[in-house]
Amino acid sequence: MSTEALDAAPSFPLAGLVKPLVQPLVAVAIAVLVGGLLVLALGENPIEVYSILVHGSLVGWPNFLVTLQMMSPLLFTGLAVAISFRAGLWNIGAEGQMIMGALAAGIVGYAVDLPTALHIPLALIAAFAGGLAWALLPALLRVWLNLNELVVCLMLNPIALLLSGYVSTHLLKAPGPTNKLPDIADTAALPTFSLYSQVNAGFVIGLVLCLVFAVVNGGTKKGFEWKIMGLNPRFAYYGGIRVPLQAVLVMMLSGGIAGLGGAEQVLGEYRAFYDNFSPGYGFDGIAVAMLANFHPVGVVLAAFLFGALNGGSAVLQMMTGLSKYLVQVLQFIIVLILAAQFSWAFLGSRRKAPPAHAAPAAPKEE
Amino acid sequence: MSETPLDVVSISGVVKRFGDFTAIHDASLTVRRGEVHAIVGENGAGKSTLMNILYGLLPRDAGTIELFGRPVTFSGPAEAIAAGVGMVHQHFKLAPSFTVADNIILGSEPLAGYGRIDRARAERDTAAISRRFGLDLDPRAVVGALPVGLRQRVEILKTLYREAQILILDEPTAVLTPQETRELFATMRTLAESGHSIVFITHKLREVLAVSNRISVMRQGRIVATLDNEGVTAQEIAGLMVGRSVLLRVKKAKAEARDEVLLKVDGLEARGERGEAAVDGLSFAVRSGEIVGLAGVQGNGQDELVECIAGLRRPVAGSVEICGTKAVADPRRNRAAGLAYVPADRGGVGLSLASGIWENLTVGHIEEFGRGPFLAIKAARARAAELIRRFDVRGATLDKPAGSLSGGNQQKVQIARELTRDARLVIAEQPSQGVDIGAIESIHRTLVEMRDAGRAVFVVSADLDEIFSLSDRILVIYRGRIVADLVASETDPETVGRYMGGLEEAPPAAAASVSEAADHVH
Ligand SMILES: Nc1ncnc2c1ncn2[C@@H]1O[C@H](COP(=O)(O)OP(=O)(O)OP(=O)(O)O)[C@@H](O)[C@H]1O
Ligand SMILES: [Mg+2]
Repeated sequence: MSTEALDAAPSFPLAGLVKPLVQPLVAVAIAVLVGGLLVLALGENPIEVYSILVHGSLVGWPNFLVTLQMMSPLLFTGLAVAISFRAGLWNIGAEGQMIMGALAAGIVGYAVDLPTALHIPLALIAAFAGGLAWALLPALLRVWLNLNELVVCLMLNPIALLLSGYVSTHLLKAPGPTNKLPDIADTAALPTFSLYSQVNAGFVIGLVLCLVFAVVNGGTKKGFEWKIMGLNPRFAYYGGIRVPLQAVLVMMLSGGIAGLGGAEQVLGEYRAFYDNFSPGYGFDGIAVAMLANFHPVGVVLAAFLFGALNGGSAVLQMMTGLSKYLVQVLQFIIVLILAAQFSWAFLGSRRKAPPAHAAPAAPKEE
Repeated sequence: MSETPLDVVSISGVVKRFGDFTAIHDASLTVRRGEVHAIVGENGAGKSTLMNILYGLLPRDAGTIELFGRPVTFSGPAEAIAAGVGMVHQHFKLAPSFTVADNIILGSEPLAGYGRIDRARAERDTAAISRRFGLDLDPRAVVGALPVGLRQRVEILKTLYREAQILILDEPTAVLTPQETRELFATMRTLAESGHSIVFITHKLREVLAVSNRISVMRQGRIVATLDNEGVTAQEIAGLMVGRSVLLRVKKAKAEARDEVLLKVDGLEARGERGEAAVDGLSFAVRSGEIVGLAGVQGNGQDELVECIAGLRRPVAGSVEICGTKAVADPRRNRAAGLAYVPADRGGVGLSLASGIWENLTVGHIEEFGRGPFLAIKAARARAAELIRRFDVRGATLDKPAGSLSGGNQQKVQIARELTRDARLVIAEQPSQGVDIGAIESIHRTLVEMRDAGRAVFVVSADLDEIFSLSDRILVIYRGRIVADLVASETDPETVGRYMGGLEEAPPAAAASVSEAADHVH
């Protein structure tokens, strides 16, 4: 064994940067290939279709800004899912948490009268609290009663949708035919940057959050503890990490971040809470987080890819006979490949490593 | 075995690389029909890897393997099993909620038509095969409720049910009591006499000499010698393994126990997994400057006892004090009170196998590297590198997952992490589990040094050799109670063995007076 290998610094910093990119890039490449065959089967030219997609999402300011707008909510939901999954907490409730955050922001946005300097922060805090509250229940049930958070989160998603629907179509409905809350006050609106798209200050907030969590994960005690907890909670607990407390904390942060994603939509894009506004950003967040390998910087890249696909899809529908859902098919293929790799690695680790070494049963998933 | 020795397995020139690390260099080995062939070697020498290659779990990079004279290349264990090779891993792979019969037939179920499993036949077959090999087992018992020794028997029967001719046992005795070990050896001899070949990996040289026909020594990925078990001594084998002479028993000065009690257990009661009274009103104390060994047959409450002390289990009654602080059901607080703990279940509790080695070495020391909310990662990694060198963890780099280390080197990682904590009470469960003799020597020496530095050391081990080599005082646990408290230098393994088997129960008064006497000695 060479002693250089024991240097405190990681041995190949460059390889360290490139390696995490390989797996997601392979997944994307396969998806592009399969998607191309699909387009071929539908009687269109795949090269043409892809160039329309790329053009429609990246080339020219307006298209590019639409892509940024499309990726904004995914920054939040992707980050929310990534930090919880990394800590071994299967928060698949980002959709519900985002809706509750949006609802809270929507109410504070119109019902309160404050100067901008206070109104925006208050509305953001409300959104954070809304998402947090929706994540707290599964967290507490998990810690107290050992109920699987995955199931509870999943059940809370439709409840959030129905509850916000009731509020926005009955309780606090704005006058008029549309199912929405009254428009938010101008003092609560997140500024937009351009006429071409609704990309707004929320995008910057999402970006900053991702960078902050990159630092948290990579350089703080908490980030270290969460990672250990995610890989073996029994070991973490034995080693003096307050696993139940940290689990609640991570879930609250995760829910709060998803809630902020709702604020980005309501305060920045729509300027009111609309019933049923989300096309499933919370679920896309799961795909984004997986593609990102749960790394916050990866979330930015993956959200950009998904945002570009969504942005380009509208153009695609206009320019060809293809449905914009083709893009969703591409996204699904990516998710499928990642999920397959995930379970493959999981199976592989059970087949290969344990016989020679320890790990009879994977740390019992409580 | 009077017929001409026939090589049933012949491995030659096998090479195995993991990335740019070569685990097996040009290894060659033959196994004869009807022999017990022991393989010994230091941790990380490549024993498990070589056997995993033979069993089809790992592909080889070069070399040939012949089985019954025909070259083979298995792409998975299923093919190896079909060709008559069976393997029992150190960590069993049974389904704990299934019965013995279910486990044995799992994967080659007898069918009763319409794809239904023929339960009755499964049980008949199981009973028949256990009778045939003299391995007593109740086919309907639920595996999870069986003691380790019997679970191992299920594993062995499982391979025999698939008609294995060659049986690989990877460190089968690491988890057994002396009694169970003797039974296993009897089984191995019977199997060998009926024409099976057995490859037997172990770190216990006494076992090697007791049971094997031939002995192969592995060192750094090579088979360096194959000896007939005639006239060789443990010292010679140890020398071949390590390349230097080893102390098989650590030298230590007489204990100087001080009066300061660092672990006090008082009237402790705890329930086990199935709600039974596993720890049943148990009291004892460990003082600074002494090593106390807890001997007992596995499953007599020692796991539950230690979990209560560590804070991983909530006792029903009674109390535990660590360095004068009352222990609670929270490992964090008990650690802060001054506890270092090496758990027996290193894969589940003591390590995160998927995490890097430096991360495994840093858990439990996070505060030392805390700079406000930040973690001084560079410093933590530097310390980890230092520990890897100091504790001689072979095959380790900082970022390699702990699970890729050999069993014994994983053990060194958790020992290194715990014994470098600034804690006055050290609890070590099976401290030398799976560790080679060279490393045992250094682990034992470290524990004795800790004692001499005024710490209290509490060793829980199923291995009486280890208990006697380390302890100043020996407690024996039987059915959740301490049945004896003996001065190590004034007793012998036979006596302790009798207490362990519950054959002799010192009346409580007598036990107390023994312990008084022990106090006077110190
Ligand atoms: N999957 C793997 N990836 C990388 N290295 C590995 C892997 N499996 C084993 N090794 C390395 O190969 C070497 C041999 O390991 P092996 O498990 O065969 O040792 P062993 O002789 O069984 O040791 P022990 O007595 O400690 O069980 C070790 O250095 C180990 O770190
Ligand atoms: Mg091994």
